[in-house]
Amino acid sequence: MSDIEGRIADTMLAKLRQRDPSLGPDDLTRPIADLDLDSLDLVELHQQLERELQVKGDLRETAGFAFLDDFSTYFVKLASGE
Amino acid sequence: MSAGIVDVATAKPGRTVDNEHFTSIGLTDEWIRRRSGIATRSWLPDETPLAEVAAEACAPIVTRMGTPSSIGALIVVSTSSRQRIPGVAQKVAQLVGLGPSVLTFDMNAACCGFVYGLVTGLSLCDAGGARSVLVCSVEAMSRMVDRTDRQTACIFADGCAAVLLEDRAEFTGFRHVAGCDGSQESLMRETDAGGIHLDGMQVYDRAVRRMAESAQYLFDHGPAPTVLVGHQANGRILEGVRGFTTHLGVPFVNRIEHSGNTSSATIPLAFAGELDAGSLPAEGRLGAVAYGAGEAWGGVAVDYRVPAATAP
Repeated sequence: MSDIEGRIADTMLAKLRQRDPSLGPDDLTRPIADLDLDSLDLVELHQQLERELQVKGDLRETAGFAFLDDFSTYFVKLASGE
Repeated sequence: MSAGIVDVATAKPGRTVDNEHFTSIGLTDEWIRRRSGIATRSWLPDETPLAEVAAEACAPIVTRMGTPSSIGALIVVSTSSRQRIPGVAQKVAQLVGLGPSVLTFDMNAACCGFVYGLVTGLSLCDAGGARSVLVCSVEAMSRMVDRTDRQTACIFADGCAAVLLEDRAEFTGFRHVAGCDGSQESLMRETDAGGIHLDGMQVYDRAVRRMAESAQYLFDHGPAPTVLVGHQANGRILEGVRGFTTHLGVPFVNRIEHSGNTSSATIPLAFAGELDAGSLPAEGRLGAVAYGAGEAWGGVAVDYRVPAATAP
C-alpha cells in the first residue's frame, strides 16, 4: 500500500468509525449500502479526502460510488495527477 | 462614523413541532436528529399574516429606541411571503408606527436574504440615506414545503427576527462579500406542484464551501469578527463549516436544534439567541455568512453594541 493509499484508508476508516467504532480495515471493502453511512457522510468523506490530499474532486462522480474502494481508486488517481 | 447593529429582537410565535410529528411520513426522531441536528421547530398558523409577525419583532425595538421618526428605512426580508401587491414592509411600518417619511421595501434572496438585507441597510446608513434602518427577516417556510416530503418537511420552519442599524462613532466600517451562480438554479427551487426541491448532496457540499470561503474572506479583509453565525440550514452543514473555520479561532454558532431552518431568519434568530443565552457579550463584531437558492452566497462583518438589558 502506497503512502497515498494509506492516508486514504486512514481517512475512510476514521469516517466509518464515527458511525461504528467497532469497524476495522476489513470493512473498507464492503458495499457502501451495507455500511451505516448516509449520503451526507459520503459528501463529508469526499471533502475530508480532498483536504487530506490537497486535491479537488468532482462530487458528481463520487456520489455514485458503490464501494469505498471506488473512493480510494478515484483519489489515488487525482493525487497522482492522472 | 460607521454603521452597526444597535438592537435586536425576535418573534417566534406559532406552535412547537417535535420530531414525533413526522412519524406519519416514516421519519424517526433519531433519523431527523442525525440527518439535520433538529429536535423541534416552530410552525406558524397558516392564517397569520407575516406583517403581524414582523411587527411583533420590530415593535420592541421601536419602543426601546423611543424616536421612531428617526428610522428612515425598513427592509422586510422574506422568501416565503406570498404577498406581492402590496408588499409586506409598508404594513409593518404602519403597525409599528413608522413613517410616513420612511423608505420601505420587501427583499427576497432566499436563505441569503438577511445578509443581503443587512448589507443594503448598512450601506443606506453609511451613505447618509437613513439615520437608522430596521432590517427584519420573517419566514413561514412551513407554508412552502410539501409537508409529506421526507427530505424537506422536517427541516424547514418559521421564525422572525429584526435588527436596528445606526451610524456610531465607535463602530468600524462593515465589510461584505457576495456572489451568485445562476447556472446552479436547479439545486434548490420551488416546484410547480408545491414544495421545495433540494439536491441534498450538492447543496451540502457547496453550502459548506461557500460559507467557509465567505468567512475566510471576512477575516482576511478588515477587522476580524468576534463571532461567526452561519445560515442555520442544517446541523450537518453547520458542523461542516465549523470544520473549515476552526482555525479562525472565534465561536461558531449552531442553534439549529430547536429552531430548524427558517431561511433568511436563521442568522438574526441565532444571533439573538446567543445574546439572550448570555453566550455572547453585548458588543463585538458579528461575522454572518449565508448560502442559498439561486445559488447565492455571501457574508458580512459588522460591529454590534446592544445594551445588555435589551438583548431579547
